[in-house]
Amino acid sequence: MRLPRFKYLGPETLDQALDLLNTHKDDAKILAGGTDLLVRMKKGLLKPKALISLKALNELSYIKKQDGYIKIGARTPLADIIASDLIQKEARALFQACEKIGAVTIQHYRGTIGGNILQDNRCHHYNQSDFHRSGRQACHKDGGKICYAREEADRCNSTCQSDGATALMALGAGIILAQKGGKRTVDLTDFYTTDGIMPHAMESHELLKEIIIPVQGGQSAYHRLAYRSAIDYPIVCAGVFLKPSQKNEIADARIVVGAMSRSPLFLAQASSSLKGKKLNDTYAFKKAADVSMDSAATFAVHNVGATLEYRCAMVSQMVIQALEQAAAAIKA
Amino acid sequence: MTTNISFLLNGDKISYEIKDHWTLLHLLREEMGLIGTKEGCGNGECGACTVIVDKLAVNSCLYLAIDVDGASIETIEGLASTNGTLHPLQQSFVDKGGIQCGFCSPGMIMSSKALLDENPRANHEQIKHALAGNICRCTGYVQILESVEAARDKGGQNE
Amino acid sequence: MNNLNPDTNREFSVVGKRIPKLDAAQKAMGRAEYIQDIKLPGMLFGKILYSKHAHADIVKIDTSKARALAGVHAVLTGEDVPKKMKMGFYKDNPPIKKGKVCSFRDEVAAVAAISPEIAKKALDLIEIEYEELPGIFDPEKAMEKDSPLVHEYHKSNVLNLPWKLHYGDVEKAEKESDFVVEEKFTTQWVTHCCLGTSGAIALFDSNDNLTIHTNTQIPSLAQKDFLESLKAMGLVNKRVRVIKPIIGGGFGSKLDTYAYEHISILLAYACRKPVKIMFDRVEEFKATSTRQPTVIYIKQGCDKNGKLTFRDMRMVLDNGAYTSWGATTPSVMMMPITSLYRVDNVRFNAKCVYTNNTYSQAMRGYGNPQATFAIESTLDMLAEKAGIGRVDIRRINRNQPGDITPQGFKITSCGISECIDEVEKEFAIDGPKEKGIGTGIASLIHVGGGARIYKSDGCGAILKMDDYGKVDIFTGGTDMGQGLDNITAQIVAEELGLYVEDINVVHTDTDVCPWDVGAHASRSTFVAGNAALGAAKKVKETILEYGSKFLDADPEDLVLRDRAIFVSGDPEKSMPIDKLLRKAHFSPQGKMLMADFFYDPDNENMGKEFKGNMSVTYAFGAHGVKVKVDEETGKVQVLDYVAAHDVGRAINPLLLEGQVYGGVVMGLGYALTEEVVTRNGQNMNANFRDYKLFTAKDAIKIKAPVVETYDEYGPFGAKGIGEPGCVPTAPAIANAIYDAVGVRIFDLPITPEKVLAALKEKKSATTEI
Repeated sequence: MRLPRFKYLGPETLDQALDLLNTHKDDAKILAGGTDLLVRMKKGLLKPKALISLKALNELSYIKKQDGYIKIGARTPLADIIASDLIQKEARALFQACEKIGAVTIQHYRGTIGGNILQDNRCHHYNQSDFHRSGRQACHKDGGKICYAREEADRCNSTCQSDGATALMALGAGIILAQKGGKRTVDLTDFYTTDGIMPHAMESHELLKEIIIPVQGGQSAYHRLAYRSAIDYPIVCAGVFLKPSQKNEIADARIVVGAMSRSPLFLAQASSSLKGKKLNDTYAFKKAADVSMDSAATFAVHNVGATLEYRCAMVSQMVIQALEQAAAAIKA
Repeated sequence: MTTNISFLLNGDKISYEIKDHWTLLHLLREEMGLIGTKEGCGNGECGACTVIVDKLAVNSCLYLAIDVDGASIETIEGLASTNGTLHPLQQSFVDKGGIQCGFCSPGMIMSSKALLDENPRANHEQIKHALAGNICRCTGYVQILESVEAARDKGGQNE
Repeated sequence: MNNLNPDTNREFSVVGKRIPKLDAAQKAMGRAEYIQDIKLPGMLFGKILYSKHAHADIVKIDTSKARALAGVHAVLTGEDVPKKMKMGFYKDNPPIKKGKVCSFRDEVAAVAAISPEIAKKALDLIEIEYEELPGIFDPEKAMEKDSPLVHEYHKSNVLNLPWKLHYGDVEKAEKESDFVVEEKFTTQWVTHCCLGTSGAIALFDSNDNLTIHTNTQIPSLAQKDFLESLKAMGLVNKRVRVIKPIIGGGFGSKLDTYAYEHISILLAYACRKPVKIMFDRVEEFKATSTRQPTVIYIKQGCDKNGKLTFRDMRMVLDNGAYTSWGATTPSVMMMPITSLYRVDNVRFNAKCVYTNNTYSQAMRGYGNPQATFAIESTLDMLAEKAGIGRVDIRRINRNQPGDITPQGFKITSCGISECIDEVEKEFAIDGPKEKGIGTGIASLIHVGGGARIYKSDGCGAILKMDDYGKVDIFTGGTDMGQGLDNITAQIVAEELGLYVEDINVVHTDTDVCPWDVGAHASRSTFVAGNAALGAAKKVKETILEYGSKFLDADPEDLVLRDRAIFVSGDPEKSMPIDKLLRKAHFSPQGKMLMADFFYDPDNENMGKEFKGNMSVTYAFGAHGVKVKVDEETGKVQVLDYVAAHDVGRAINPLLLEGQVYGGVVMGLGYALTEEVVTRNGQNMNANFRDYKLFTAKDAIKIKAPVVETYDEYGPFGAKGIGEPGCVPTAPAIANAIYDAVGVRIFDLPITPEKVLAALKEKKSATTEI
């Protein structure tokens, strides 16, 4: 399978990369590890005229703790994140999520954290060959007006299956988007749109530079369901964060459910229901998990294989198991 | 667009005029005639095209040729010594039944090599993990895993 | 068994040894040449345009823009295909369709160009106007009177095939039964997923003789198919040479000829240049054939002692839009239906029904896994109803040597009982239970001594020896990774007192290799093995004749061993084989050491009533599995697996275990994860992410005890083992899940969501009570 032709641009510095982005805008795509981008190009889902490679930009590959944040360069390979003591100890959900992505050869060395959280949404009906898609009316994501995943839907119902995004959102992470002559910081919960066509709010002249995770003293966990032990995208996943108070109660909680909808879902109601509860209050966990399921179900779409009913039912399972892991980690 | 790149291929210095959109797999197979690296899917799902770039096992179907400029690449063709002696991993795959139709074998062996080079004492679970991206339809993996374990136990030496 | 093979007690030096695959080093070094790797001078690249609809009239095709594209050598549509060029035994499938498409995989045009990119671009330039027709995707609905017809000329969607039998009196037996179980099962489409995708290169010489390089399991029958195509093209009395590169996996997928092969022939003829068509992975998923999906209705009964009284089965098979060997799988389903365990009254009726889905082919087990899933699942249900142990009911009804089954199968050697013992050794099937953990058992019968599906079940071998004591053996058999080369070499080496490295096995070229009906029905070790053995025996006779002359000894006293000929009891008197050969060649009126042998087993075609001893011997086995079911998610984890097989004799245990392990994991995929997902006839998961093969990380440890029963007709006592490994896996798993959590899944694959739904249903049923 060959790639369509494109022009390869290899900036040496971040500034050069931003210059190029500013010039080419929509005609260019950023190439980090290529494990998502090149596949989509081979399928004809994307036809950029130019690729701006981050290969030379080692300045975008790091993991460090600074000013109360864990900072991760966007081009950091997943393998480095998995191997990082800092991440394993202080952002465990992210470690658990990265470990589950793809398979070692496919993703971990080439795949980057930036690429993972910027991966395009998927849908059984959309992620097909050019030829397959050409035999029918275009769906919303293909520039058309119909949806194959949900009849008569007036918008795209693709799913964000990023493991990394779910974990990071649970960790309360933000991202730094750079552009020529400036940058902005966006909270991940605000970054993802509810639009399946353009799943996140990054402008075409912007580049994901850094991911920042606040160090807030607590424990996180990530749990996912897939049919196989490797290669699979999650069919449901949950990332949670629990911050204990001095009385061993839950001072703050964040529950995020992924692979159910157009973006990872931060579930405010379920999260706040845990405040003030004991760390061993399994009833509260169960209740939070049920609330999570109800909230997530509203957004769920049948588009990634397993039935909707099953995936909804599994939300509470994933949430409860993640909560128990996080609570156990605090106790330890 | 063409670019001239230089890299080490199985220890040999190579300089090659390539096109921007070529994958490493395309360069190796179609341009250089190194047929040992296989294309099973072209989408990074099966691992048949696995090669080692700077000590890491990667799928050459999702690796741009231009990105190997300056890198050191190992392919299946570089494993046996020039006198024809098989690499211990190749020998184990032969001896333990790790090869049936053989289409996944080069990729399987390259993933195993990258693992054992990095971790010569990899255990069963670590081997399974390292080979998770290499699909085999013939063997059910049992004899493949035995092959890697046997090579590990020989400590990189042929018996 | 009284009539033991005299070879049983012989000491072997090569047979029975774990000798690595002869081509393994070549493969390990990346030097093996697959169809992917072959380039011929002046070769063009062919590509196929497929239908955009499951069912539609082709109103108009305009290829002018494609033809005008620089670099394009030929563009073909259905109009260019000779009328009589049709594929499959039912002859309903032209390689390019004309006027109408009946499935998404229908070929509507093809091009040959100087590069794959230009060929692809040319396809994009072909303009086709379709008028969509209502499609039919459910075989049972397709049987209804007012269903749209897939092929109008056929008048009915039900194929005219004879799959029907009734032995004994099922109705009477049912009335007399103490316990009866009646259920419906369904099985899905799965596909071979050969790691090496399909491809072919066709070229004509200046006399219009065809050479085709192609992945095939049936060189001789493919040759016949291609000759028919040439005839249809007006090329009569021409030669066809089939060259088989190293095959990247077979599993039955290459048992028929495909459109891409016939199209490469048409294109090569149109261009008078070699034309290569190479599938990518999406094409491999969408345009090669699947295992036949089935709807199964089964009724089984037993008496109060657990003895089976009758088995009554009815099936509807989704044939897809065209007909290949998938439509004949009922002929093999009959085998477990009539002959797995002793059961006197059996009835079976299968209908193959045209739909606008993909069409099916042969796949490892050939209908047996589908039928065995229903039989072995209901056997457990019957045992429970009758209050009999699951192992006991299998022992009570087990097949035994000397049995003649209702279908007329003559059971010679039979190790089913020993196989069940092996499973019991690993697991206490009917023992105490842990929560969420269960064990399951299921047995199998399969052909083990060839299968007379065609008028012949034969295989030829030609053996010649050179001046240096080396052997070239040309066999009709096919090695597609399973290791027939080794088996052939080991048999010949054993017989001639040589080492395997002395034997060169050639199976790649119909110009030099003799005739054979193909690598199917687990027949190669048995049939091609016996053919090689026959040729070796003939050459051995000549060697002994010369040995007797040169060593001045009685031929009876001569032994071939370690590349030499000895006089037994007189070790001083010996001669190296190579010396003997040179003496034979160079003596006056010299003789060439060469022999041919055609082995056609003494098995029978099944007659009108489907009675006859289809195979000379039968392979048996029993699988046991321990699973853990997560009651929260429905996920099934396989903890332990034992696959015991009666193999007659293991010619090469290393390769044999490889066949079993590979079969079991293919069976596990069938049971748990694999499914071609379709939506209105369109394959929705044509990639390895969404079509879920087991990965190395999902791999399990499997024990594969070998039960040797030394079949008197097998080469050195061996029976076939290529397919059995994947036959009883699904029911063993289903039975284990039931044992673990009390729910039974009737519909493959057993996905977590099905298990969870069943658990939920069970829970609500219990609470209602």
